[in-house]
Amino acid sequence: MDTMVLHKGEVFERVFVNEEVNLRIDQEAGSHVKIHVINAPFSIAVNQLEEGCKTEIYGLEHLHGEEKVIAETHVTHAVGGGTSNQLIKFVLDDHARGHFIGDLKIAPEAQQVEAHQTNRNLLLSENAEMRTQPQLEIYADDVQATHGASTGQLDESALFYMQQRGISKQKARQLLVGAFMREIVDSIGDSYSDIRERLLNAIDGVVE
Amino acid sequence: MKTLLEIKDLHASIGGKEILKGVNLVIHEGEVHAIMGPNGAGKSTLSAVLTGSPAYEVTAGEVLLRGENLLAMEPEVRARAGVFLSFQYPVEIPGVSMTNFMRTALNEKRAYEGKEPISAKEFLGLMREKKKLLELPDKLNNRSVNEGFSGGEKKKNEIFQMAMLEPCLSILDETDSGLDIDALRIVAEGVNRLKTPENASIVITHYQRLLDYIVPDFVHVLADGKIIKTGDKTLALELEEHGYDGIA
Repeated sequence: MDTMVLHKGEVFERVFVNEEVNLRIDQEAGSHVKIHVINAPFSIAVNQLEEGCKTEIYGLEHLHGEEKVIAETHVTHAVGGGTSNQLIKFVLDDHARGHFIGDLKIAPEAQQVEAHQTNRNLLLSENAEMRTQPQLEIYADDVQATHGASTGQLDESALFYMQQRGISKQKARQLLVGAFMREIVDSIGDSYSDIRERLLNAIDGVVE
Repeated sequence: MKTLLEIKDLHASIGGKEILKGVNLVIHEGEVHAIMGPNGAGKSTLSAVLTGSPAYEVTAGEVLLRGENLLAMEPEVRARAGVFLSFQYPVEIPGVSMTNFMRTALNEKRAYEGKEPISAKEFLGLMREKKKLLELPDKLNNRSVNEGFSGGEKKKNEIFQMAMLEPCLSILDETDSGLDIDALRIVAEGVNRLKTPENASIVITHYQRLLDYIVPDFVHVLADGKIIKTGDKTLALELEEHGYDGIA
């Protein structure tokens, strides 16, 4: 695992596509981490060691066949006044298996922290499987922390609505899957606009 | 007058329970048919069966659209052939923009008709023109389909889609429900302006109110899965006065 220290006020913004990520980052005051991982396993640990840090972790995994991917996050707020946001999405087709492990720790002295962890998964096949293991350890009382995890299927009523407008079932599925994935891709910043546009085009043309 | 739709002795059930128990109806081009009836009579089932909802099973009878077996077609093929349903409860589709949705739908229909995809410029022009008809805002294009729309906006959006796709048979399922009087007027005017000598509408409604605006050529009373009475527009007034019990 690579370890790095993000010094005071520094910004670390990266988009990893099809590239496995193993990373540990220690954040100093006012630094900002923004990471996107697309279609690759990852294990990311971020420690907010000083005040006023911002951490954003986004993961998008679209798996087919027998693919198996583990996405793991460990976010620790050791001090107060920081924010963190994690949004991890899996789209699972065929016999694919996804696994999300998400640790969120807020230390007793880390007051006035805002921390969010969300894991949303879409199962496109009866044989696909998703496992979600969130672990929240919140020891401070003056914090705003939310956590959500859900795994579901495509909305049948939306599929029928689109078919009733002449859209083939396959194309309707494609539009719904694209809509589900788009949220992650849209959150990629302008410094990576070329990758963002490439991914958006891929989503629009995605064939299941 | 050419025959558009023929429903012959149609039986349909959901979860083994028979809802439609032998519906017969013939619709010609240029006609507006109102279907009225008490709750649970099978009005929405009829629209679901005609559009191919997978929830229902047709157990007997047939439906012909311009002489072709409608029930053998996939839902999307029925739509491309010109059957349009204005949903009682339009579905919200977060993340799919109206533009993307509408353009996909229109191009699928054009492909079915052997036409080239519509150009971006022509498409946007068409959107603008049809939005005006329903008094819908410009910002509609980038919004997700029905997401966060008010009840009135959702129903206007249904008729807007109808205007874009120009169906030969429109089924309006309780289009008046949840509409205030202004929205009702706009929706009804939209429907009336889309009327041509070649297309036809089925207006499903519980109340007579909508029929003040969309005047039907025929009114049918559906009760317990069958059409029990057919008349002209005065039948709707009679129903309003005496209720369904007074008819049956």
